[in-house]
Amino acid sequence: MADKLSMVVSEGSFDKAMMPLILGTTAAAMGTEVHVFYTFFGTKLLTKGVKPKLPGMMRLFTGMFVGRMKKVGIPEYTEFVKQAMDMGVNFYACSTTMGLMGVQESDLMPGVKVLGAAAFLKLAGESNVSLFIG
Amino acid sequence: MEKDATLDTKGLMCPMPIVQLAKKVKEMRPGQVLELVADDVGAKEDVPAWCSRTGHQLVGSEQDGKILRFYIKVK
Repeated sequence: MADKLSMVVSEGSFDKAMMPLILGTTAAAMGTEVHVFYTFFGTKLLTKGVKPKLPGMMRLFTGMFVGRMKKVGIPEYTEFVKQAMDMGVNFYACSTTMGLMGVQESDLMPGVKVLGAAAFLKLAGESNVSLFIG
Repeated sequence: MEKDATLDTKGLMCPMPIVQLAKKVKEMRPGQVLELVADDVGAKEDVPAWCSRTGHQLVGSEQDGKILRFYIKVK
């Protein structure tokens, strides 16, 4: 059976947005099945047209970070999500926090699935690696 | 070293060399040798790790200053 990696993302800042994409695309490139579950502030990262910013005062430097990452081949956030999806990375929005955060299913990027905690925990239980990003 | 294709990832940083490597290998046939050129310091450990996980064989590597060259035989 293929290796499995599951991640929980609970924050919506730029750094928390990029980490699961970097790890997720790498794992997918290594033949690993990848499941990323977004909850609380992380849920916003799955909405259309989102442009995550660095946390706090650092938000002012987000553009500089994006520029630097672009220079070394890392695409902009939304494009990177698409690339990860093309590689087979699975993105899930937590059904409960969607309600809390005021996110509708129609707000989600195409390809994102809505999942409850039990279904994610099942995937996590089958994973050899589980990471919490928050 | 003999090679069938070259993938130049100079200037790219983790995870892009590995992401492109995985894509490139899919386009190649079993037994062919890919030369991967990288200057990301992380590639030094990443490429052997990727090979051991995916089963593609790392048949050689060399370093010339910052430039790393890996030779990967497609599974």
